Amino acid sequence: MASPVVAQRPAETPAGPGRRRRPGVGRRDHLIGWLLIAPALVYFIIFLLYPALAALYYSFTEWDLHSAPIWVGLQNYTDLFFDDVKYPHFWKSIQVTLQYTLVAVPLTLVAALGQALLINTIRRGSNLFRLLLFLPVVTAEAAVGAIWRWLYDPQYGLVNAVLGLVGIPRQNWLNTPELVIPALAFIAAWQCGISMIIYLAGLKSIPESIREAAVIDGAGPVQRFFKVVVPMLRPTTFYLVVTGIIAALQVFGLVYVIFSGGGNRSVTGGPEQSGLAYVLHIYLYAFRYNAMGAACAMSFILLVFIMIITFVQFKFMKQEAS
Amino acid sequence: MNQKTVRRLPIYIALILLALVSVVPFVWMLATSFKNGPDVYTQVPQLLPLDKKTGEWNPTLGNYEYVFTISGLGTAFWNSVWITCVLVPVKLLIDALAAYAFARIPFPGRDKIFVLMLAGMMVPTITLLVPRLHVTQVLGVYDSPWGIILPNVASVLDIFLMRQFFRTLPVELEEAARIDGAGRMAIFWRVILPLSKPVLAVVTITSFIFHWNDLVWPLIVLNSPDFYTLPLALQQLASTESGRAYYIMAGAALAVVPVMIVLLIFQRRIMQGIAFSGLKS
Repeated sequence: MASPVVAQRPAETPAGPGRRRRPGVGRRDHLIGWLLIAPALVYFIIFLLYPALAALYYSFTEWDLHSAPIWVGLQNYTDLFFDDVKYPHFWKSIQVTLQYTLVAVPLTLVAALGQALLINTIRRGSNLFRLLLFLPVVTAEAAVGAIWRWLYDPQYGLVNAVLGLVGIPRQNWLNTPELVIPALAFIAAWQCGISMIIYLAGLKSIPESIREAAVIDGAGPVQRFFKVVVPMLRPTTFYLVVTGIIAALQVFGLVYVIFSGGGNRSVTGGPEQSGLAYVLHIYLYAFRYNAMGAACAMSFILLVFIMIITFVQFKFMKQEAS
Repeated sequence: MNQKTVRRLPIYIALILLALVSVVPFVWMLATSFKNGPDVYTQVPQLLPLDKKTGEWNPTLGNYEYVFTISGLGTAFWNSVWITCVLVPVKLLIDALAAYAFARIPFPGRDKIFVLMLAGMMVPTITLLVPRLHVTQVLGVYDSPWGIILPNVASVLDIFLMRQFFRTLPVELEEAARIDGAGRMAIFWRVILPLSKPVLAVVTITSFIFHWNDLVWPLIVLNSPDFYTLPLALQQLASTESGRAYYIMAGAALAVVPVMIVLLIFQRRIMQGIAFSGLKS
């Protein structure tokens, strides 16, 4: 335990820079340091660094995983962008993913902020509501997909039954191209619990004095929301938008489960490819058609895209900080 | 009722509605999973497991029995249990050791390695899948439980979180222990780890949930149904039995309920952990 150690601490030990590295310990420390990070470093090299570099190399090759890769230069990239006979759904998958991101991210954030605001105003039962609203987050995406397929069932689904109560006619949600993205985005918003918790922490960090000052100045609840809460939450929102976009661009497990049916082989990406997320498209090329080179090229395009977003985020964060 | 309660009433109503949206899918999942096949498909949704014709109480455990034995979700359940129970502690140890070194033991090149690892976090999982699959084949662990464990046995994010926490611990404690003659490892075990229970708990729980739920990597690295993890077996079930919601919902319940129990027990730690890691990054 730590407490006896504290008790025995000599009072005259000054704590300051320069005291941390004591002479004579240095070299042994280097060795211990290397030993301690060794397992993590080996893991990092084998399962992160090498795969990332290998993916870049493979993206310039034609490769089926079994025979040796054949170098083709930039051909994978140019074919993806310009050869719509070879890759008929490449642009479609980009369009689907961007549409999904554009709908799902704002919907999720609005739901999360709304829930956080409501929970923040009550005392009794706030933990219970927080817990209930968080349940969807910890659910396996295989289960989420299975449950929502059943809820969206055109004939016996609960969604249609509930909407029927307010007079909205039955829809075949997952089989109507125009409805696929809204249906998927709703599931994303249903799983907004993490953003909700982060918003809640953000709300708690707004000093009470600012709110009181606004009340004294005669600001009503609506004004307070737009003039105090929204600006104070700007960094939080920014963070959630960026991470939300990065996550939405990589949506995969859910669409894979939702659109797999009648046997493992028939994963297609929904009616008229309306749910063909970009990563699902990569998955199909890699693990169905064994076109590893093209799949790696597609995944590198995604990597570059995400790096640009992250870079922009850093720039903005720096600007905010200064 | 005082005035304040009245004013809060609409807020509570809104929250109850939102909570219903959040919870009803799970209730519906459980309800369906206890119904006999014919009773599932009714024109008016029926929450309780009643007989479709007579309206009598008619629940069953048969769906669970079927998916557990015939669809192989039983095997998958135990696979998931033991894989998670091996993976999470080993991962925790590897990450904690590295995090301690990154936080407290200065050696040349340390910070460069750390920054490189952090940069590696940016790489999307999908980019790594194909080469990782190749690596598992080369290592001879493709289509085996080790093919799941090895590629997940450390996490840069967890190392980062633990390092941040270790750095907040007062250095004086370590110095005092060192003056008492404790070596680095003794300090790590007896001073650092006991003080780090909050972060260790968060990392353990989130790792457990993540690996219990993970679908994508098992989908790629496993081929034999004998090794399937629960999410993968559930996906297969949802695909092959797509017309039989009662089986699929029983399977989904098997995957969902254990995690819900963990969430109920550790909810406070999980929420703190999310707020912590979310706001830090």
